[in-house]
Amino acid sequence: MNSDKKEPVKEMIGFLDEIAKIQTAIADFECGQNLNIAIISEPFAGKTTILDVIEKMNSEKVTRLSFSSIVKSKEDIKIPENSKRVVIIDDCNFLYERKIGGFENLEYFLRSVVTSSNIFITTWNLYSWNYLDEVFNIGDIFPVQIKLPKFTKDQVKESILSKYEANEIKFEEDVEFEKEKVFEPRKFTISIKPLEKKIHIPYYKLNYSLLKVRLLKKEERVGIEELIFEKIQRISNGNPGVSKIIWNKSLEYPIIKPSKINDVSFNIDLDYKESFVLFLILSMKSINSDELSEILGPDFQVDKIIFRLSNQGLIAVDDVSCNIKPEALKSIADFLKKLRLVW
Amino acid sequence: MAENIPVELPIVDIWTIINSILVILIAYLFIRAITFILVVISERAGQYRITVKMVIPLLKFSIYGIAIYIVLKDILHLGSEQLILFGGLLGAGIGFGLKDLFADIIGGIIITLEKPYQVGDKVKIGDYYGEVSDIGLRATKLVTPDDNLVSAPNYLFFTQAVASANAGAPEMMVVIDLFIDSDSDSVRAIKILKESVATSKYVYISKKRPYTVLMKDFPFYRRLRAKAYVNDLRYEFEFESEVTRRTWIEFSKHGIKAPKVNVMEAGTLSKAG
Repeated sequence: MNSDKKEPVKEMIGFLDEIAKIQTAIADFECGQNLNIAIISEPFAGKTTILDVIEKMNSEKVTRLSFSSIVKSKEDIKIPENSKRVVIIDDCNFLYERKIGGFENLEYFLRSVVTSSNIFITTWNLYSWNYLDEVFNIGDIFPVQIKLPKFTKDQVKESILSKYEANEIKFEEDVEFEKEKVFEPRKFTISIKPLEKKIHIPYYKLNYSLLKVRLLKKEERVGIEELIFEKIQRISNGNPGVSKIIWNKSLEYPIIKPSKINDVSFNIDLDYKESFVLFLILSMKSINSDELSEILGPDFQVDKIIFRLSNQGLIAVDDVSCNIKPEALKSIADFLKKLRLVW
Repeated sequence: MAENIPVELPIVDIWTIINSILVILIAYLFIRAITFILVVISERAGQYRITVKMVIPLLKFSIYGIAIYIVLKDILHLGSEQLILFGGLLGAGIGFGLKDLFADIIGGIIITLEKPYQVGDKVKIGDYYGEVSDIGLRATKLVTPDDNLVSAPNYLFFTQAVASANAGAPEMMVVIDLFIDSDSDSVRAIKILKESVATSKYVYISKKRPYTVLMKDFPFYRRLRAKAYVNDLRYEFEFESEVTRRTWIEFSKHGIKAPKVNVMEAGTLSKAG
C-alpha cells in the first residue's frame, strides 16, 4: 500500500470525528481564536497516527516536535523562532518527572504555550495527563481535549485487514477453539499471612465473547472471522495498537485460528513500591532504568523491581528502556486503578 | 384483684441445650466464614474496600438475630406468654447488672444502622485512635498505630464524641507540619513541600480532594502545613513520613534550616503564656 498517493484522512480508520475537531480548531485559530489541543490516550491507542494525519493535512503550516525520552534541558523544548503557526508536539508526557524539582521543564513549556501566538497540538499519555491535570490543572491551557475512543470490533477488523489484499488471509476454525468453554476454569489465590501460606481456590471465569456468540446470536453459526476480531477487540480493550500486536503474534501467515489468539490473564502480585514503579512506566510508556532511579531515589531497588516486573510479563526490557507490554496493558491499568495509583 | 395465670415453661432437656448451642455455633462459624470471604473480596476491591467491609457488621447482627429467633421459637418453642415472661426476666437481668451488655448490643445495632463509622475507617473513640477492624455485638475493635488491638465498648457511642477521619471513603486527609527557621527562603520551601506532596507515591489528588500548603509566621520560626489526601488511609503514617523525609532532604540542598531548639522552646512558651 502506498500511503503517499492517498489523501491522509481517507487512509485513516476510526478517529474521523477527532480529526474533524482538530481541523475545526485549526480553522478557528485562523479566524483569531486560539484553542490549544491535547490529544489524550493510553499507550498504543493511536495518538501519533492522528498527528501524522494532521501533519499531512496541514503540511504548509505545521512545525513538528517529538520527544522520545524524558526532556532534560529547556533547550530541547524551545519553540524555533522560524516555526510555523501550528506547532505539533508528540509525547508531552516526557516533559516532567514525578519528583521534587521534576516539573521545571513542564512549567517552562506551559509558559511558552500561554505566551505564544501559535496554536499547539499536543499528545499526552492518558495516565500522565490525568495526574498533571489534577496537580497543575493543565486542562486550562489546552481547552480542546480529545480523548481517543476505543475501537469497535468492526474498526479493529478494518484497521488490521487494511494492509492485506482481499481474501489474502485465511480464517480457519480449529479443534482447540471448539473446546473453548463459556466458563473457563481459573484459580484464585488467597494469602493467609499468619500461616504464610497461599490457598488456590478454583473458580470459573465467564468467556464473554463466546457467551455473546452462543446466547445473543442464539447459537447461530457466526463467521469465524467475526469471532476472531471480537476476541481481539475484547483482549485489546479496543486499543488499535494492542489489537495489531495481538494479531501479529497470532497470525501464522496467511492463516489465523481462534485458538492461536492467546487470551493471557495476568495475575499481578506486586507490593506497593513495585506497583508505583509500574505506574511510572505506564505513565511514560517507555522509560530507562537510570531515569527511574533518578525519580525514585535510593529507597527503591530499581533493578530488582524491574526484574520482578519483567518476570511477571508486565514489561519488556531492552538495552535502552523498560516498556509496557501491550498485551498486559489492560490488566496493569485495572490493577493500578484498584491501588488508586491511577486516577 | 389481679389473678395469677400460671405460665407453662418449656421442657429443657439435654437435646434442647445441644441444639441451641449447635445453632449458635453454626451462626458463629458462618459469620467467621463470611467475614473471611468478605475481607478477602474487600482487599481486592480497591477503592470499594470499605464499602464491602460495611456489609460485615450488618450481616453479623442479622445472622445472630436469626439464630436467636430459631433458638427461641423452633427449639425452645416459646409461645407469646412465654416470650412475655422471657422479656420480663430479660428486663430484670438488665436491671440487675446486664444493662452495660444490653447498652453495648443496642449501641452495636445503632452503629450498624446509623454508620457513624464503618469497618475500615480511621476513628477516634474516647482516648483511642485507630482503624476499625471489627464492629461486634459488644465492642468495636480498633487497631492503633502501634498495632495494639483495642476493644472499645459500643455504648461509648452514646456518651462520647466519635471522630471519623474518612467517613467511609478510602482516602483521608493528612496534615503534615514542618517548622523552618525564619531566615530561610520560605517561598522556595513552600514550592519544595508542594512538590514533595504532589509527587508522593501515596498521594491522592482530585478536584474534590485538592492539596494545599499553608505558612504561618511565629515569633521565632515559620510553620509550613501541608494538607493532602492519602490514597489509602492505611498509608497515613507512611505518607506523612515519606513527605517529611523527602522534603528535608531537599530543604538541606537549598540551605533551608530547621529552627534552633531553644527558639522552638521559646515559641512554645510564648504561645502557652
